[in-house]
Formats: sequence, C-alpha cells, structure tokens
Amino acid sequence: MDFLQNLLPHLLNGLALGLLFALIALGFTLIVSVMEIINLAHGSLFALGAYVAMVIINPGFADGGGLGSYYMSLPLGLRYVIALIFAPIVIAIVGFGLEILLRPTYGKKKEYGLLLTFGAALVLEEIIRLIWGPAEQVLLTPDAISGAFIADGMIYSIYRVYAMCFGIFAIIMVWLFLEKTPYGAIIKAGAHDSEMVRALGINLPRLQMLVFGFGAALAGIAGIILTPIWGLRPHVGIDATIPAFLIIVLGGIGSFKGAVTGGILVGLAVGLTGAYASDWSLLSMYLLLIAVLTFRSRGLFGKKTALEA
Amino acid sequence: MKRTAIGAALSVSVLALAGGMVSAQDKKPIVIGITSDASGQYANSGASDRRGMMMAIEEFNAKGGVLGRPIKTVHIDTETTPATGSRVAERLISREGAGYLIGAVSSGVANAISQVAQKHGVIYLNTNSSSPSESGANCHRVKFVWDGNGTNFSQATVKTAIEKYGKKWLLLTNDYGWGHDTSAATKKLAEAAGAEIIDEILVPVGTRDFASILLKVQQTKPDVIAAAVGGDDQKAMRTQVAELGLGDKYAWINNQQDWPDVYGLPRDNLFGVFGTTWYYDLDLPGVGEFVKKYREMYPDTSMEVPGNVFYNGYWATRSLLEAIEKAGSTNSHEVIKQLENLKIPAKIRMQDDDAYMNPNTHQMQQTIYLASANAEDADNANALFKIIGHSDPESAKDTAADEACKLESFDDTPVTNP
Repeated sequence: MDFLQNLLPHLLNGLALGLLFALIALGFTLIVSVMEIINLAHGSLFALGAYVAMVIINPGFADGGGLGSYYMSLPLGLRYVIALIFAPIVIAIVGFGLEILLRPTYGKKKEYGLLLTFGAALVLEEIIRLIWGPAEQVLLTPDAISGAFIADGMIYSIYRVYAMCFGIFAIIMVWLFLEKTPYGAIIKAGAHDSEMVRALGINLPRLQMLVFGFGAALAGIAGIILTPIWGLRPHVGIDATIPAFLIIVLGGIGSFKGAVTGGILVGLAVGLTGAYASDWSLLSMYLLLIAVLTFRSRGLFGKKTALEA
Repeated sequence: MKRTAIGAALSVSVLALAGGMVSAQDKKPIVIGITSDASGQYANSGASDRRGMMMAIEEFNAKGGVLGRPIKTVHIDTETTPATGSRVAERLISREGAGYLIGAVSSGVANAISQVAQKHGVIYLNTNSSSPSESGANCHRVKFVWDGNGTNFSQATVKTAIEKYGKKWLLLTNDYGWGHDTSAATKKLAEAAGAEIIDEILVPVGTRDFASILLKVQQTKPDVIAAAVGGDDQKAMRTQVAELGLGDKYAWINNQQDWPDVYGLPRDNLFGVFGTTWYYDLDLPGVGEFVKKYREMYPDTSMEVPGNVFYNGYWATRSLLEAIEKAGSTNSHEVIKQLENLKIPAKIRMQDDDAYMNPNTHQMQQTIYLASANAEDADNANALFKIIGHSDPESAKDTAADEACKLESFDDTPVTNP
C-alpha cells in the first residue's frame, strides 16, 4: 500500500512530463511528415521562442517612456498572454525564412536539408548569444501560475500543472486543426502524396512554407512553456532537440498519434526511473527506443514501408 | 640647430623603441594552450575561466612578456567532454607547440587532459575543477590544482550543519567524477561527525527536469540535503526547488557554488549555504582594484564583476608566469619545483589567509569561504552572496588527498623546455 501511495505521484509526474515532451515533438513531427525534413533547428527555434517571449514579458522592453512605459504598466498576466500569441508568430516568420533557405535543397539528397538545418541551429544559437548574452535568464510567469500547493502531504508546482494542461490543450488544438479543418486535410494530403496535391492545383510551395512556419511556431510555444521549468540559456534548445527526435522515431515518423504516445511513454519512463533508479533516468528513454525499434522498426504508429507490405 | 637636435633625439628614441619592440617580437613566444570549455555543461564557466587567464597574460605581455618572450595563446574548445579534452591536449602540445596547458571546470576533462600532459611532461594547471580526486588519486607531477575541492568545502560545512540542522542527511550527486568524489568526501566526513546518510540520489548529467527527484526528496524527509550538482543541471535544480519552496523546507549544503552558475538567477533560487574561494565584495586590500581592472578589460561582459572561476583562472596563470620568471628558465622541472614551493601572502591573493601549494598533492591550500544568499541588497544584481564565515587552509585541509596522491618522480616525468 505504501509502495502504491509512493508510486502515484511519480506516475502523475511522468504523465505530466510526457505531455510536455509531446508538446516539444508536435512541431517536429509535423515538419517531418509533410516535408520529409528533419529540422535540427527545432531546438534553436524552441529557445528563440522563449527569448522573444522574455522580451515581451520581462521589464526592459521598450520602457524608455511613452508607449513602452504604458505597455510595461500592463499586468504581468496580460503581457504573458500577449507573449503566448506574438512570440510564436515571430518564430513562425523565422520558420518561413528558414523554409525559403531550404528550397534549393528540395529534390536533392536528404543530407543537404539536414546540414542546412544544423547550420541554422548554430547560427540561431549564436544570434541569441549575441543579443541576450550567454548568462542564465529568467522568463517571468504570472503569479496565478507560480508557486506551489500541497496535496496529500506533498508539495507540487502550480506551474507544472498549468504546463500539463497547456500541453493537453495544445495537443487537442493541433489535432482538431489537422482532423477537422480543410487546411488540416490539405496538410495531411501533402504528407501522404505531395505530387497528387500539386496535381490537384494546390500551391505546394506555399503549403510547405505554412507547415514549416506552423511547426516552428509550435517549437516556440513549447519553449515558452518549458523554459520556466528548465531555465533559459542560449543552448537550452539542445535539451529539446534530442527528446523530440527520439520521440518521433519512437512514435513513428510523421504520426501525430505516435508523437503524443511516444512523448507520454518517454515521460513515464524518465519520471519513474527518476524516482527509483535516478542514474538511469536519461538513459531510460534510449532503452525504450531500442526496445520499441527492436520489435517494430517503423516505430509505434509509423507507416508501413514497401518492404513490410 | 635646436630643431635638428630635437629631430635627432626623436629619431634615436624612435629607433630605440623600435629596436626594443623588434627584439621582444623577435623572441620566440611562449605558447600557452588554453583548454577551457566553450560548449557543453560548463561553457559559461569556461568563458569566465578564460577571461581570468587572459587578464594575467595581458598584464605580463604589457611589461614585455616572460623572460623577455611574448606570451601567445591558442584556445581549443574541450566541449566539457573528457574524450575531447584528451584530443585537444594532444593537439595543442603536438601541433600547436603549446608549452603549458591551462584550464578546466569539469573534473573528468581535467583528468583526461592531465594524463596527456604527464605523458609529454607539459605543465598543466587545473584552474577550476574541484573534485577531490584531482589532487588525490588522479594527481600528477605536471598538474597543479587551484580550486578548493569538495572535501575542503565539506570540511568547512559538515560539522556546523549537523549541529544546527540535524543528522538525517540525503546526498544529491551529479553522476560523474566530481559529483561522486564530492559526495563520497561529504559522506565520510558527515558519518564521522555522527550523521546518518539516509539515501543518495544520483542526478545524471543533462538533467533538466527535477520533479521526480524532488518528489523523492520529499518522500525521504531528510534534515539536510548535501547537493553536489553543478553547471546547467544545478541551475535547473535551483529554479525548480525555489518554485516548490523547498529551499526553506530543508537545510541545503551546496558544496561550492561557481559564480557563473548563479549569476543572473533570482535571489530566492540561491537557497542554502555554500562554499566559495573568493567573492568580489570581500573587504580586503586589493579587491577593489582587481574588480576595477576586470571591468576595464571586460566592459561588455554580462557578468559585471568577477567571481571565483575568473579569480582561479587569473591566479593560476599569474602564478605560472611568476614561477617561470623566478626559475629564470622555461625548463619544466625547474618551473614545477618553483610551483611546489609557492607561497602567496593573503594580502597579495586577496584572501583572509596566506595560501600555499601543497607539494605532496599539488593543490593550492587557501581560505574557504562560507556564503548564503544576500537577502538585504536584493536590488543589486551583483550582490548575490553574503559571506557568513571562513575557514583557514589548515581547518579545511583535505588530508585524505595526501595519502591518495602518488606523484610521479621527476625521473619518470619528461623534461620540456618550451
């Protein structure tokens, strides 16, 4: 009984962590599925999202007088909501730019796109370092989602509950967008057969640009949600890229359901090993990947290949 | 006539100056290989370490170098990775002609570099890695360790913490060399002083989410948490502990707290007590001038004042260059002997006690300061620490290192003459 009582908080924590991992992987999997590009700049976009939000939220932004001072007099909660809307838009625009740079690599070996996004990741990280410096920064959060609460004698973070709820909300919204809107249908069709989509008269380059921008915006949102927990520094993106990549392979490349399931499984693995064998906690996600790929090489929900058909 | 005389005098002066410059520049430079991290867990500390070294080198170059030879530096990123550290050391010595190697924050990297340095007989200064094994089991004749180590800091804190906070101790250990060595030293001292170690939680390097670990901490219910968690892991841990308000719930002993790891963090993230070898606001002679010099040399650095990592980088480099001058030669064995006998008065080193190099372990014996967060001056971003006491080098001495360290003989150490 004691064991179960001790286990429950760790299970819930693992689930929460999993939803956050799924949030990180969403944008990554969207770009892979439609464009067949592994966007190694995903982590840098994640970091940039958090930095842009920091500029919008924290004191120091345009508070030299006039409109700037008025803006900074707005409640922190309102500035936070503004950041949640505008920072992803900024990151989407950066994503559009990146997609334009990627165009010469289309139709060539996949390594070209991979190398370009890797280079972009380094450039973005250096830009962050140049603008905001290498030191640790803090992304302010409103009082309503800060602090802690006590349940059953244990202290839990309010922000973590908020982040988990936000993760669920974001996953549902992306699912609704993909499944219930005509735009989502086009994106899914583009992922399935891009040539057919083009043949039907849909502007494929514009679709690819929008998908890349949307994926980048999701990375930015994940950055805003995760960095108050992880801390904010120029290289924080690498902490997001590795699990995101792992999760989409585990869940099956290009699968929305796979990204969510993979994220939750990784979260549970990391959370539970963190409690009972903490030195294995980071390794556990790789062991899980090996276990899944050993029995199912295309991941949990990956498409069948011609060889398997 | 007068104009001709002035012209002639000027010409002579210019020629003399030019001659001097030419002779200094003509001399073969002394090449120092900088082995600090520019990426990975300790990238930020590595940059601070490097700035300290460069300030010392700048001072010497401004007065004509060492033994009349200019000092040149070559830096290669060691990436906070031991394998890269070995490779970088090998390259700096074999291909870049480095006669000396300086720099480390990670103990794993320092250990890897020092093995290569010992093989070549090249003097290596471990500036900032504080694992007890660096001056214990992994000591080398060519290696000198400038930071206080985990045992020094534990010596300074353990007994008081048991008396003040209680006997049930939990260890939080970063899962690599420094973390294990530091926790082992803490465990030994704490148990000897009557504490019970109720659990040890290993924190893998790269951990960003501490929720499961902090849940376990709460389930364990310790009196004292002795944390040996460093770099970015520690920053994430501090943020999450502060968020839950656990900083006040338990007594946290955080071993050493490197300045670059905490600079910029909100004040409530600085919970517990911790050690440091130096603080920019010590009320001691020379500290003000040192800080001023730092600000003049690095006006754009985000860290407005120097911290312990910069201080160690500076002093290690300065002491090496002074040792070369004192030896009157770059012969490695002669310079090693000078460093083994190094003694620096407190007022020169800007600490409370005289410092000296332990010739048996090659670790600098120095004042260890105990600090906590400075709650009184919260608006001043630089005034993070409140120094609450200090231990002299003898009280904080790592006696186990004297037994564990077996330095290679001079006969077994190649001689270099860079």
